Amino acid sequence: MKLVQESSKTKIVNNLIVGILAIYGISQKQFNLDEPSLFHQIVTEFISPMQKGLANSKKNLSALWENYLSIVNTSKENVVLKRKISRLENDLTNMEEMRKENLRLKRLLHFSDDQPYKKIMAQVVGWDSSNEFKVIRLNRGSLHGLKPMSPVVTDHGLVGYVYRVTENYSDVLTILDQNNRVDVVVERTRTHGIVEGIFNFKCVLKYITKNEPIEVGDKLITAGVGGIYPKGIKVGMITDISKENFGMTLSIEVIPSVDFHKLEEVLVLIPSEEAVSASTDPVSSSVTKESQI
Amino acid sequence: MKLRFSQLMTAFAISLGILIGLEIITSSLLPALGWYEYRLTFNVLIIIFLAIRLNSASLPWMIIGFQVIHSVFSVEGWALGTFASLIVMLVANYLKELLHLTTALVTMVTVQLFQIVWHVTVALVICLKISNFEKFGMILWSFIPGSILLSFISPLLFWLLERIWRVPSESGPAGVDI
Repeated sequence: MKLVQESSKTKIVNNLIVGILAIYGISQKQFNLDEPSLFHQIVTEFISPMQKGLANSKKNLSALWENYLSIVNTSKENVVLKRKISRLENDLTNMEEMRKENLRLKRLLHFSDDQPYKKIMAQVVGWDSSNEFKVIRLNRGSLHGLKPMSPVVTDHGLVGYVYRVTENYSDVLTILDQNNRVDVVVERTRTHGIVEGIFNFKCVLKYITKNEPIEVGDKLITAGVGGIYPKGIKVGMITDISKENFGMTLSIEVIPSVDFHKLEEVLVLIPSEEAVSASTDPVSSSVTKESQI
Repeated sequence: MKLRFSQLMTAFAISLGILIGLEIITSSLLPALGWYEYRLTFNVLIIIFLAIRLNSASLPWMIIGFQVIHSVFSVEGWALGTFASLIVMLVANYLKELLHLTTALVTMVTVQLFQIVWHVTVALVICLKISNFEKFGMILWSFIPGSILLSFISPLLFWLLERIWRVPSESGPAGVDI
């Protein structure tokens, strides 16, 4: 009886300690920037190569599946021929994949020509394993020159910014995430607003008053304030506008320019020395980072 | 049945290994195959198993272990899930006499109910943290499809975990002492 009571006491004490630790951890947690601990860095460096391997297995898996389907019901005399065709098809698929990749990379490089940034190309190797966070993992880290808060783009537009970095990997808080807020301008009317992630791979445009002449189809670009994103990067397109019953603002739905379902390679923009010194001038520095994050 | 310390640590290490494998699948393999919309949060499933089926004073510390591994794959961090785990453990403790995972269907329903408890807790804490309760419904809704799929998987994973943790799989009451 005494033993049971002692065990129960230990349990309560353990629960209390862990509960207090958890509440402290939650209070210290920032959802817009993170400094990974040494343990986190070591485990990430150890685990992420597996993620990278699996992310790269997409081509092999689809080829395997197609080959299996094409071979499974054929007669014996056709097996050799089928295999040959399958191999050729596989080669063709790979070549087509390489051609597409080449095209994507060319577009990426061409797109970034006019940006005063050092560009680092990276591959997406994983997504955040929680539903409520839209974060991607890249196969480039601090050893490759990546820094926290660096903007991440594709030729289609804005992806997000670097949230945390380890030596060889980094996590990017995408614009789909509710904790990422992007200062934008409506290209046609030059109206300022904030784009915020919601769910189902969509965003909302906030703080646009009802008297603004916004229309469905209007394109949004980054405003260039806040010190993270350069000005003029495509963010998305307005797809739905509804007037909220109460309040002065419109409820606006935005589809991002980047198709996150097809995201494979991205460019991380690292501000060059000149860009950094330009950003420290009185006009730029007057805009605080808090306005963006 | 009481487990020796070494057996307990072995079961814990194997479960961590399983969690790492499942996290890699959900964060890399499934997106590579085109599954982007919903994530299968296997850490929730493993912790619900521990909360329902085991009864140990060291459980909260083991949960931190699982959550720290989960935090490598998610910016959610370890603390949010640990807090939700404690709530789930508390509820499981109160319902201990009622919980009998006799069939796969009962297991699925029970797991779904505990997942709802977990996700309501997480959604509430996130809303508190970002000071915006308008998003509560959206955050909660984002969990639902993945959690239903997890409930379907739960009998299989529970069967595996019962063997790892040496919990008798016969349909006894929940909360086996270890």
